[in-house]
Amino acid sequence: METLLATFVSGLVLAALYALMASGLSLIWTTIGVFNFAHGALMMVGAFVAWTVSEVGGFGLWPGLIAGVATTTVLGVIIEYLLIRPFYGQRNMVLITVMTTLAAMIILEKSAQIIWGARLKQLPRMIEGDISISGAVISAHEALIVVLAPLILIALWQFTNRTPVGRSLRAVGQNQEAAALLGINVPLTFALAFGLGAALAGLTGVLLGGIRFITPSLGSEPLIKAMIVVIFGGLGSLGATVGAALVIGMAEAFLVLTLGLYWTPFAIFLGLIAVLVLRPNGLFGRS
Amino acid sequence: MSILRIEGIGGGYGSVTVLRDITLTLETGENLGLFGPNGHGKTTLLRMTSGLMRPSSGTIQFDGRDITGASPSKIVTSGLVHTQQGNTLFGDMGVAETLEMAAFTKRARAGATARLEKVYALFPRLAERRKQKTRTLSGGERQMLSIGSALMCAPRLLVLDEPTLGLSPRLKEELTEALIEISNSVPLMVVEQDVELLLAVTDRQVLVEHGEIVREITATNTPDHAEIVAMYFGAQA
Repeated sequence: METLLATFVSGLVLAALYALMASGLSLIWTTIGVFNFAHGALMMVGAFVAWTVSEVGGFGLWPGLIAGVATTTVLGVIIEYLLIRPFYGQRNMVLITVMTTLAAMIILEKSAQIIWGARLKQLPRMIEGDISISGAVISAHEALIVVLAPLILIALWQFTNRTPVGRSLRAVGQNQEAAALLGINVPLTFALAFGLGAALAGLTGVLLGGIRFITPSLGSEPLIKAMIVVIFGGLGSLGATVGAALVIGMAEAFLVLTLGLYWTPFAIFLGLIAVLVLRPNGLFGRS
Repeated sequence: MSILRIEGIGGGYGSVTVLRDITLTLETGENLGLFGPNGHGKTTLLRMTSGLMRPSSGTIQFDGRDITGASPSKIVTSGLVHTQQGNTLFGDMGVAETLEMAAFTKRARAGATARLEKVYALFPRLAERRKQKTRTLSGGERQMLSIGSALMCAPRLLVLDEPTLGLSPRLKEELTEALIEISNSVPLMVVEQDVELLLAVTDRQVLVEHGEIVREITATNTPDHAEIVAMYFGAQA
């Protein structure tokens, strides 16, 4: 019973992290129709910048968090401007941007290697100490992630559904010309979506940096998980992404318990393929 | 004073020329209709007017200001609002949400609540379907939402592309009445296949053929039915 509870809690932590990662990817995909392969690398940059400001600069974790998120936001806007914008309207835009965002990923990872080196680094935890939930012990930092993720996602949902600018993001994603004809500045909206997605990546990276060691490849494994979540949920709505993150996070936690660490990724991919065969638009997607 | 002045507009898609040399003026207080066979440049002319396409020659002035090659969002901000043909709008958004969002520019946001009430009064069917997603609307309802959204932009000139395309005669009638009511407060420029509608809604009509304006109809030289049929099918009228 205690093992089950502990597994459930660790599944919740994974789900919260995956939901945060995937929401940024999903936001960019639904607005621009670009799959941002640099998303994981942006997470890594966020973590490194936070580490530099917090540990090397000695300014503490919160300024580090702000610096990390600010840096990735700016990087996101730059990536959009240099690597996506020149290809808008081209017939092969999706394929071209797969290549350009992959290039961005490689550039960011290699730059991080040069700047920060390959030695493992770690951020201090946001909150020290552990929390025990009827026997299952997790760190307060992980508990914070579990609490923070839904709040951020609710805020994101409120933004895209209730505010004029947030709605314009969705409008551009659904019909660019019709959006432009309402007076929405489409290129600006693209930059905004990319910046916001990158900000979410940076935030996730900083949170991740308190759990895992920070290396230049910090983001590559999470990126694959986030991609699975986004595809699994059905490209599109935030709700579907959150649902898929819960399913994948829980599945991963319980598979590690039963199948072991080695076979878990295999089983998850098998599940993904099965879902795509049975429901090509994803678990929660609409045809 | 003319509200819209199009002078010598030409251009098309890549190497394909659609418009040759179109010159048009819309005087303040007048509604203009454009008709003619499909594929002869009417939609292209509207797309150039609203900034969706860039003309390769000529100039467009709206309200005395040059808007040639300006971005669609700038043009909407200045008050020229274009409703596209068969606009599918935003499938995953609700009716009320679409209308609220449509008042996007700063100028449109002022007085948006009052305008929303006007749109619902004009199209009561939209009021009944406030919560419904756009993808589930019928063609006629979608057309109403499209025109309603355009009204939410606080237009100073409303440009409509085939507003009754594919609608039943009864819906056409309903929409014609709505357009007449709109024209009381906003000048219209309408592209339409249904010449009856154009005659009911607009004061002056021009025939667009092969990317040129080949004929103008005013109250004093109204053609009869046979002549209009002849214009459509290419015979010399």
